[in-house]
Amino acid sequence: MLRRLPGLLLLACALAAPAAPAASAQVAVPPINYRERALPNGLKVYTVRDASSPTVSIQVWYKVGSKDDPEGRSGFAHLFEHMMFKGTKNMRDEMLDRLTEDVGGWNNASTWDDYTNYYEVVPSNYLETLLWAEADRMGSLNVNDKNFKSERDVVKEEFRARVLAPPYGRLFYAIERRSFTAHPYRRPGIGSIEELEAATLEDVRSFHQTFYRPDNATLIVVGDFDEKQLDGWIDKYFGRIPKPDRPLPRVTTKEPARAAEKRFDETGPNVPLPGVVITYLAPPVAHEDAYALKVAESILSAGESSRLYQSLVYKQQVAQAAWATADLREDQGLFYFASILASGKQPSEAERALLAELKRMQDEPASKAEVDKAVSQLVTNQLRERETNNGKGDALGRAAVLMGDARRVNTDIARLQAVTAADVQRVMKKYFNDANRVVINYRGEAAPPQQTTGGGGNSR
Amino acid sequence: MRISPVDISRRLAFGAVFVVALAGVAAAQTAGGAQPAPQETPPPPSAPRSVAVPRPVEKSLKNGLRVVVVEDRDMPLVSAQLLVRNGGEVDPPRLSGLADMTASLLTKGTKTRTAPQIADEVESLGGVITSNAGWDASRAFVNVSSPKTERALAILADVVRNPVFNDEEVERLRQQYLDSLSVALNDPGSVASYVASRVVFGDAPYGHPLSGTPESLKLIRREDIVALHAKYYRPDNAVLVFGGDIRAEEAFRLAERLFGDWARPAGALPAEAAAAKRDAAAGPAARRVVVVDMPGAGQAAVVLARPGISRTDPTYFSGIVTNAVLSGYSGRLNQEIRIKRGLSYGARSQLDVRREAGPFVASAQTKNPSGAEVASLLLAELGRLGNEPVLDAELVPRKAVLIGGFGRSLETTEGLVNQIASLALYGLSLDEINNYIRNVQGVTAAEIRKFAGTRLGATDAHIVIVGDAKEFLEPLRKQFRTVEVIPLAELDLNTAALRKSAAGAVNK
Repeated sequence: MLRRLPGLLLLACALAAPAAPAASAQVAVPPINYRERALPNGLKVYTVRDASSPTVSIQVWYKVGSKDDPEGRSGFAHLFEHMMFKGTKNMRDEMLDRLTEDVGGWNNASTWDDYTNYYEVVPSNYLETLLWAEADRMGSLNVNDKNFKSERDVVKEEFRARVLAPPYGRLFYAIERRSFTAHPYRRPGIGSIEELEAATLEDVRSFHQTFYRPDNATLIVVGDFDEKQLDGWIDKYFGRIPKPDRPLPRVTTKEPARAAEKRFDETGPNVPLPGVVITYLAPPVAHEDAYALKVAESILSAGESSRLYQSLVYKQQVAQAAWATADLREDQGLFYFASILASGKQPSEAERALLAELKRMQDEPASKAEVDKAVSQLVTNQLRERETNNGKGDALGRAAVLMGDARRVNTDIARLQAVTAADVQRVMKKYFNDANRVVINYRGEAAPPQQTTGGGGNSR
Repeated sequence: MRISPVDISRRLAFGAVFVVALAGVAAAQTAGGAQPAPQETPPPPSAPRSVAVPRPVEKSLKNGLRVVVVEDRDMPLVSAQLLVRNGGEVDPPRLSGLADMTASLLTKGTKTRTAPQIADEVESLGGVITSNAGWDASRAFVNVSSPKTERALAILADVVRNPVFNDEEVERLRQQYLDSLSVALNDPGSVASYVASRVVFGDAPYGHPLSGTPESLKLIRREDIVALHAKYYRPDNAVLVFGGDIRAEEAFRLAERLFGDWARPAGALPAEAAAAKRDAAAGPAARRVVVVDMPGAGQAAVVLARPGISRTDPTYFSGIVTNAVLSGYSGRLNQEIRIKRGLSYGARSQLDVRREAGPFVASAQTKNPSGAEVASLLLAELGRLGNEPVLDAELVPRKAVLIGGFGRSLETTEGLVNQIASLALYGLSLDEINNYIRNVQGVTAAEIRKFAGTRLGATDAHIVIVGDAKEFLEPLRKQFRTVEVIPLAELDLNTAALRKSAAGAVNK
């Protein structure tokens, strides 16, 4: 398997490279050579053999995410993800940790808007063990009131740690709530204390039954394995899970186009500097325009040479931080500009400066050097992600599950490299109009009235 | 600041991925209480494959610069780090943040490049350049795809050797530091961490915030920065580490070309900074229980802190295994606080080893009313470790966690470089990277109990809670006779007293 260009060739390029940065803008990314299978029960399988270290990454991606939270149960898909580490038919609570952490491995899971992925990295001699375990929790879940309530308390603490404790947690929490009006993306994946409280054990069982099934899952294995042996184990442990004949519910709600600018004010305690976020609805993640939007995001936002840093933070010094995010999702994308202000500055100044940079992107094409830089940053980030087996699995999973086309793990890089300044200017004009704008202003609550705390603030 | 609201994980990420195979660790299953008996047991592991740990090679240039290279040719990426053997520990008492500001300003302008030019040149290569100071070291770092190595390294050399520290950049960075600090000072976790350092180290080095205080940042002058750079940034006080897709001969050639004529000053190296030279045998000062009152705080940050050990302490491996019993996802702290009681998203501890004894810190964030309960749970676990032996059934897996984590840290070029740089920084043999597994495996239960009892005594540990005090003060006062309560507005990080109104504050 050709995993990278031979080193000597690369070295020769480096030595011969002239001073002009554009001359070698294109970085070669070694392809991920995956093998694809499907089981009769609908499970999709992608495997990549890489024996350079005696480890293996096992990932199971389910096509269910926060957008599938039941009505009145915002945060549920994520709470459910936590419950997948409790018992199953054949595993006691937290046994997944015994099979990974205790043998020098590692596990985690993430709930996204459109999917949920579970992953572990273990010494490769434990591969069969983990395939068995992943199949076991796909096939059955054994939860009880005690571990459900305790884990729900953990998730409530996670909510407090992400939303309530950090000074800007409430601002980020407001982005989805203020940006979407109809689509379930309007409900933040972390949920709310009230709706987490409303969840029941029966919800957990029903969610597993509805979404955790082989025809809604993708298994990815990257690392040190024997192909024949791996195929046999997958057939043995996953092949026996039946495909239910119930239909899979899918979100069909469409987010309507925005008709006019909307503005919101949000506040939080202990907020030292105001913040502002400006959001626009954008195309879905698999859309043709996504490549140019990613390049635009990079031009605006990647590193200290980016336009927003140079303009807002460095030159005008109106902001302590400024960035743009292409938060593209399966059904509907979001693209937002954000800034935490510098001290003494008004949100209106940051808003004006952000919109001026947006207008510049629309009015004139970026230089060739700037586009090359953005592409080079994006592509080098891909290299960094692919340093590890788990990173390679992530890249493959996003292509196969989120984009719906595994081939894109290799072809997207050339598509990014083909983006031109005219493409970037075109998408900036296409999606970023005044009617498509939501502005969120964020500031500290007025200082709370003086309260005496216990001993009146004196030590004893 | 760049927080994506879309990805929420079961636990905070613990870094990159790589695992060292361990022989003979059975993933045994015991009957699980009231749960139905399992019908199937997991298939057992097959024979493990052995692991090749990379071998660093090194060379010293005539000017005293030590160059270390560790090849890892899997991906076309190279990381390089230029490390200076001093950092925040040399900050003068009134000028907290001086070493970090100095290091950050390296990339903000040289004799031939402005700050925007430096950023633009490196980023045009697809690369990343950063510089900052830690404790005991200041660093400039680049990561770039391997065809761009030479050009990125030329910029790294320029920023280390030729920074100009112009006034405009100093003022800009000062304002950015002040603004970042104002954000950190409204986050209960950050405030707790600052306060814990003061409580453990008092007015000695390591006690102050690495990136300064609102008062100290305003006192730092350009002359102070220039002087610190002249004193410590010299080839015989530095190490250059390469990792990734680069041959050793090529790395040595680049080092010679870009750093070979970096003049070694005539004067002797500055004496090692008189860091917190605490006599470990004497133990820490009397316990303090400090509450910083932050009305409206979304959680209480609970920290237990005390002096730990230095990196070169002979008990280092006992120490890190002891810490691994406490920390990590299935470590005792998270077992008791998160998994059993649902009191936090995560509880952890860190044995922060430095040139001199660094702090041992155990921490968790919890809803305000649980602040006192979490403090006593942290204390109880520390105490238990000194009183009861750790059984093999627990010790073997906790060692596996440590070894696996170490292996994972070597899987990226950046992680590899950091591990090697840390050994070089403390004058340890680079071969230690190959002995790590054996050293961890060799630690016994008796050594852990001794380490926990003599070095991590619970009765000596300080307690810091930052949060909405009215929610937890009453139960806390039932547990501890003396509780210092400091309203956030009164907090002074410049002094061990921690209180603005207190007599003897510096900067007056």
